Amino acid sequence: MSWKPEIDEIKQRRALALGQGGPDAVAKQHSHNRLTIRERVNQLLDVDSFEELGPVAGTPIYNDKGELVSYDPANFILGFGKVNGRRIIVGGEDFTMRGGSPSPAGLRKSVYAEELAVQYKIPLIRLHEGSGGSVGGTSGKGPNLPGPVNAPSRFRSVAQAMATVPVATAAMGAVAGLPAGRLVASHFSVMSKSTAQIITAGPAVVERAMGEKKTKDELGGWKVHTKNGTVDNGADDESACIEEIKCFLSYMPDNVYQLAPIVECEDPVDRCEESLLEVVPRDRRLAFEMRKVIHAVFDEGSFFEVGKGYGRSQITGLARLNGQTVGVWGNDCKFLAGSMTADGAHKARRFMELCETFSFPIVTLVDEPGFMIGSQAEREATIRHGTSAVLTAAMTTVPWAAIMVRRSFGVAQAAHYGPEAYVLAWPSAESGPLPVEGGVAVAFRREIEEAPDPDAKRRELEEMLAAKQSPFPRAEALSVHDLIDPRETRPELCKWLARVQPLLPDLLGPSAFAIRP
Amino acid sequence: MTKIELETGGSVWKLLVAEGDAVEEGQTLFILEVMKMEVPYEAPQSGTVTALHIAEGDSVAEDDVALEIG
Repeated sequence: MSWKPEIDEIKQRRALALGQGGPDAVAKQHSHNRLTIRERVNQLLDVDSFEELGPVAGTPIYNDKGELVSYDPANFILGFGKVNGRRIIVGGEDFTMRGGSPSPAGLRKSVYAEELAVQYKIPLIRLHEGSGGSVGGTSGKGPNLPGPVNAPSRFRSVAQAMATVPVATAAMGAVAGLPAGRLVASHFSVMSKSTAQIITAGPAVVERAMGEKKTKDELGGWKVHTKNGTVDNGADDESACIEEIKCFLSYMPDNVYQLAPIVECEDPVDRCEESLLEVVPRDRRLAFEMRKVIHAVFDEGSFFEVGKGYGRSQITGLARLNGQTVGVWGNDCKFLAGSMTADGAHKARRFMELCETFSFPIVTLVDEPGFMIGSQAEREATIRHGTSAVLTAAMTTVPWAAIMVRRSFGVAQAAHYGPEAYVLAWPSAESGPLPVEGGVAVAFRREIEEAPDPDAKRRELEEMLAAKQSPFPRAEALSVHDLIDPRETRPELCKWLARVQPLLPDLLGPSAFAIRP
Repeated sequence: MTKIELETGGSVWKLLVAEGDAVEEGQTLFILEVMKMEVPYEAPQSGTVTALHIAEGDSVAEDDVALEIG
């Protein structure tokens, strides 16, 4: 007798697993304009590249005769796949069963995702939609007993994955509890504006504990979480989230032991962009668009902004110079004058940690007036978060190039120059302990008050001191490497990158300090 | 009806329109002074200023509605 009966049962189980939570649950998912996890995985991966792990993990249901009558597959899908030809690990909760709240096999598969990514040293992509644990436990019949005291921490592999491979995540639907925690335990996260909410606990739990009546969107919709930095980016829908993840991945190496892929670059390295000559207004009160500078300097169309909606005075992202990935960090003087706010500092710290983890050279475009001031800034502990960013910069080992575009003041400016940074100043650069407009009123208070025309005296002092903040004396003292015509920025940065590139292999491997969510 | 909400706090440095004015898309409506820098706000669409909630010299906060265009 052959093994055919068992083989038939394997086939039956595989077929049942593909049915997910059943036709009704799948139809309900679609009626809310949401894809199922299998559809999401297919959309992410190259055609026919999915190699599923644990496809028949689940809970069988037998009749009295011991025959298989139905089958609840694990509600977490996991496997290998390829994105633009690169092998990755992909995983995600199946919302069509138990709302993604982990079943016993689902939980096992979900924690295996990070372990696999670390083991195979390839990027991890998680597509989340699901709630966390239930008081009913994974079986639904009562709380689970915790694992033995000597069981490894479930979160250790989550942290190890972040220190070893790129981790990119998306919130595709409602994400709560553990899945929400894993969503943000990533180097890049994006949420679907039309279908996702991220909530530590849902409306019912919140109302019971806090007496606060809020909808899921009010608690954790995109308007809340793209503005507070819970996720890096928002995208219109699930497809747009997947495109963002693919784009992010294109800048990343497979792991910290490799350098980022270099793409062919058609943008000439010696391109001088004419618009840069007058992008910074001579009138120091007038703002300018730092993103225009970024687009003019880096490889055409290569800037991928991360965290546009929060910490908005700081602009961070990835871009390419001559086809090679670099981290880009500029100030946006149109938002709070580009000053270092608490959330801007948090964003900057994560950006630097990302670059340090994956050995990306950092290019800064500096227009930093200093830490944000005022009562709100004090309430937000700006000085602590800001100093955290400054010390993170000081501890990095990757190469830095800093372009002094305009202002560079105070303690906060130090965050924009890593150790041994290559510093080039535009003629519009000005620097010092603090901007003259504020500093003069304090340092020369008596002199101004006693002058016959205090306003005129203040202006005279401001003009005198502003002249001393010019970049020429700094260049004379070799406090900057060179003064440049802004149009030369791209050629100069490309030359710098060619010089530092041979140093990058020595930086590979785990970083001295880990990236934190 | 489009509400022009403020992206940051600051003070109203120059108010360039009055209630009832016709405005064109891209026209500067007012300029905030934020951290000693001028931050212009432009009309996102053409229309009429149907309500004005700010005056020159006002101290304003993030998310305040400055004016409405109908």
